[in-house]
Amino acid sequence: MTHPDKEDNQIPSGRSLQGIGVSPGIVAATVVVLKRQTLRTGWYHLPADHIEKEVDRFAGAIKAAGDELLHLREKLADDLADALSIIDSHLLMLKDRMMVERTMALIRNNNVNAEWALAQALSEIKERFDRIDDPYIRERFADIKHVADRVFDLLSGREHGPLSGEDQPVILVANDFSPEDTLRMQASSVHGFLTEKGGITSHTAIVARSLGLPAVVGIEHATSLLTTGDLIILDGGSGRITLHPEPAELQRVQEGNRQDRLLAEELDHYVHLASETMDGFTVRLSANIETLGELPAVLRFGSEGIGLFRSEFDYFNGRRPPSEEQLLSTYQQLLATMAPYPVTVRTLDVGGDKFLNRFPGNKAWLDRERNPALGLRSIRFSLYERDLFRSQLRALLRASVHGRLRILLPLISAPVELRQVKAIVAEVLAELAGEGLPVAEDVEIGMMVEVPSAVVMADVFAAEVDFFAIGTNDLIQYSLAIDRGNQYVAHLYEPFHPAVLRMIQQTVEAGHARNIPVSLCGEMAGDPLCAPVLMGMGLDELSMRPAVVPRVKRLLRHCRSEELRRIAQQTLQCGDSEQVRDLLARELPHLYPREFYQG
Amino acid sequence: MRAEQVVVIGNERGIHGRVATRLAGMAASHGVHLFLRHGEETVECSSILDVLALALARGTAVGLVAEGAQAESALAAAIEIINAQDDSDHDPPG
Repeated sequence: MTHPDKEDNQIPSGRSLQGIGVSPGIVAATVVVLKRQTLRTGWYHLPADHIEKEVDRFAGAIKAAGDELLHLREKLADDLADALSIIDSHLLMLKDRMMVERTMALIRNNNVNAEWALAQALSEIKERFDRIDDPYIRERFADIKHVADRVFDLLSGREHGPLSGEDQPVILVANDFSPEDTLRMQASSVHGFLTEKGGITSHTAIVARSLGLPAVVGIEHATSLLTTGDLIILDGGSGRITLHPEPAELQRVQEGNRQDRLLAEELDHYVHLASETMDGFTVRLSANIETLGELPAVLRFGSEGIGLFRSEFDYFNGRRPPSEEQLLSTYQQLLATMAPYPVTVRTLDVGGDKFLNRFPGNKAWLDRERNPALGLRSIRFSLYERDLFRSQLRALLRASVHGRLRILLPLISAPVELRQVKAIVAEVLAELAGEGLPVAEDVEIGMMVEVPSAVVMADVFAAEVDFFAIGTNDLIQYSLAIDRGNQYVAHLYEPFHPAVLRMIQQTVEAGHARNIPVSLCGEMAGDPLCAPVLMGMGLDELSMRPAVVPRVKRLLRHCRSEELRRIAQQTLQCGDSEQVRDLLARELPHLYPREFYQG
Repeated sequence: MRAEQVVVIGNERGIHGRVATRLAGMAASHGVHLFLRHGEETVECSSILDVLALALARGTAVGLVAEGAQAESALAAAIEIINAQDDSDHDPPG
């Protein structure tokens, strides 16, 4: 495509760049490219009577950098706990003997300038860190470099200018930003940033997420591909950068953001309306939560139940596993608050070794697993640590008289697991009856469909359970063999892969053939592009973050069921995810223009 | 006063940045010198880089030595820090 007003001679083929989205949100703005000068490591010899002055100059720069960090720390809101901890670690690095004492010794022993000595000290530290096998710890050298870079700047007399002098909204582009840079972007005209370096676990990414600042990292050569003044759309969720967007694309983003702002007021209206299509086809919209603290939001946004209660929080909250009474208290409140709506509680869904080793008193330490995603986790762990599982089941069943309980079993991959669980449930029920403790009659037991074998065998499983809940995050990971936390393959994680869509459809059909409801509780459920397809496939329930429920409900209320079914059927015929996206980009905005702004 | 104990690191990610930061802060607030001993090497926790450079993974046995008036309570606090989990560990791998 051509742009009469702009020659995109620097842009390689295509009009988009793909990076790693590390902090969601879509923004359109012109970019400001920041390039670091690398003039810092000049060497010069000092006369003997200048040595102590040079040491003082270095100490002054360290002090100034420390004061800046303290100043930044004071301004931070207390709820930014991650950012506070990162600044604390940077303060320690700044004072570290490997940084300070070593640099001073180098100045004194070699009669050299502070910049050269610091660069030397830094390369010694780098050498040590390069030898570390653990990638997570080795990655911390990025932090050390951020800290040292600031000292270099102060030594060369460069003050912190504002990151952007513009009044207009901008997107900053640089090789890398430090967590502190990111914090300084807050409350300025910076609406997002992108970098060449970094990964999803970098401290800079963590800070961006906690600030809600859209960010994309890992775009090689971004500072040379982009020029200050270029207009781009940055999608911090998908990691996609659109260069020189068409006016229509831009308008969609602006319209989307405008709608987001208006949404809160407008959506209030939908909170109390039924979640049904124009022709009366209903889909239950429920919430995914993990703590009781989220219940007010669930009710405020009009969810009709909890589609996924992640029960891990109680287990990670103390120094030993929770008691049955403690769990009972959580489940009672949960069920009573949501009654008469159903509450789906997923039983403990953890990796075994990680979990057990939390409790130092526990004798049953497991060996580190080579492949935890395929290891002793979720239901496998519950069947291994049966006392823990029984205690959770007892608490759940005892709480069941306070509302409508659905027990959800994660990671079921073979019928034998289901039979084992049922045998334990029967024992627990007999125990409770013997103790005179009442249990509701209508407790349902269902399974997560999140492993390919569960999809293939869905017709068999459907005869054994009361409901299916499709967990798309894991289903996509296991069926496409993609670890979405791995920056090299994360871009292949694709909800619209036709294999994923077909597996969802197959599960729905198998469930309905046995008259059991099928829900879906991955991120797809709350995505305005995915939700209509899922509705068209006949899912009975979509479970999502509480805050997106009104938006999906509005979407549903503007649809007709036969159109949704037609679109869903067409997506199932597509050969690849691009075709699916093209189809949806064509069909959905046309049908429901007010709902869509992303192409 | 001097208190000493060998502990096995229970934290999933070993002694990473946040743990090292907490150890240094705790030692300073207790007014003690806190040392980590691993194999031949002994480092003082006041240097976060020394501690990180040991790259202590989960399951590694390390000697903890605290010196100072509050050595005992500092040692207990250090053990707790070393075995605490991050919030980020809430998420199972899938």
